Amino acid sequence: MDNKMEVKILEIMNTVLDNRTKKKLTVLSPEMHLRNDIGFDSLDLAELTVRIEAEYDIDIFEDGIVNTVSEIFEKLNSK
Amino acid sequence: MNVLITGISKGLGLKTSESLLRNGWTVYGISRSKTEELNELLLQYPDKLKWLQYDLGDAEKIRQIIFKDWIGLDTPIHGLVNNAAMAYDDIVTNLNLDSLEKMYRVNVFTPMMLTKFVIRQMLLHHTKGSIVHISSISVHTGYKGLSMYASTKGALEAFSKNTAREWGEVGVRSNCLVAGFMETEMSSSLSDNQKNRIYQRTSLKKPVDVNSVAETIKFLLSDKANSITGQNIHVDNGTI
Ligand SMILES: NC(=O)c1ccc[n+]([C@@H]2O[C@H](COP(=O)([O-])OP(=O)(O)OC[C@H]3O[C@@H](n4cnc5c(N)ncnc54)[C@H](OP(=O)(O)O)[C@@H]3O)[C@@H](O)[C@H]2O)c1
Repeated sequence: MDNKMEVKILEIMNTVLDNRTKKKLTVLSPEMHLRNDIGFDSLDLAELTVRIEAEYDIDIFEDGIVNTVSEIFEKLNSK
Repeated sequence: MNVLITGISKGLGLKTSESLLRNGWTVYGISRSKTEELNELLLQYPDKLKWLQYDLGDAEKIRQIIFKDWIGLDTPIHGLVNNAAMAYDDIVTNLNLDSLEKMYRVNVFTPMMLTKFVIRQMLLHHTKGSIVHISSISVHTGYKGLSMYASTKGALEAFSKNTAREWGEVGVRSNCLVAGFMETEMSSSLSDNQKNRIYQRTSLKKPVDVNSVAETIKFLLSDKANSITGQNIHVDNGTI
């Protein structure tokens, strides 16, 4: 996993969590599940998508479901 | 306040833009043609009025052309008015599928896609936004020849109510302005006899004042309406 990207994604996720007054993350690991482990609901995931898209110009949910942190990195690295 | 509004070259869209600009808001307006009146408004508000020539029959390029290249993802959007529409009227037995599809693109699919990207932009900038779709009294009272047109507006009303429910918790509101018959280009093909029959079905017995509709749109966009969402607001001279 690209370290710069990892730091950026962690920062974006914490912005979303903070906006929704949810508990922020200290570390990010690839196997983490976006809903079950991080606690995102569908509206949080919408905000996450938009923020990632603003940074990388890729809509991670455009084709298919993304469930885990590693799947986000796969999407971002595949383009 | 930055407001995106479709169909600003004439009729209700032009009047609404004027009203929003008088309030000091910034208007991002779309239409295919630049009319004399629109040109005057552009000269009057060179900084606050931004105009894009775009055919809303094309729902594919919305994100790139409207949101990325023109408005810019860095600009917060506080309001969306889905006003542009076309009326394909005929009796049902003459229904032409191509005309129906074209009307659905302009009246339903593009407004839905605009709503998608506007909500995304609202999420990005954390703006509590307001969306107003222009619907028609024909959804609620039947008129001969308007089945197909009315069905597009009924779709918008359903879309609006569910959007309101889905996005309310992040502060995004969605309402429909249900307009009665106004004297604009859209209704200009009706004969005086047809118009009079329509006006006789209203309490006030006359055409709906376009300014009254425009002012209500402005109200729904503003913070004064911050407890109103998921509603159909009738401005129809009392069609009961
Ligand atoms: N008039 C009525 O009696 C009445 C009653 C109830 C509801 N409504 C609704 O009120 C709204 C406004 O109608 P109006 O009476 O003001 O109509 P109008 O005078 O015909 O104006 C329609 C506007 O939409 C724009 N437009 C139409 N098709 C477009 C396209 N493919 N791409 C871009 N812009 C497009 C037109 O601009 P260009 O031609 O320059 O593209 C124009 O600015 C509509 O949603 C209508 O359904 C009207």
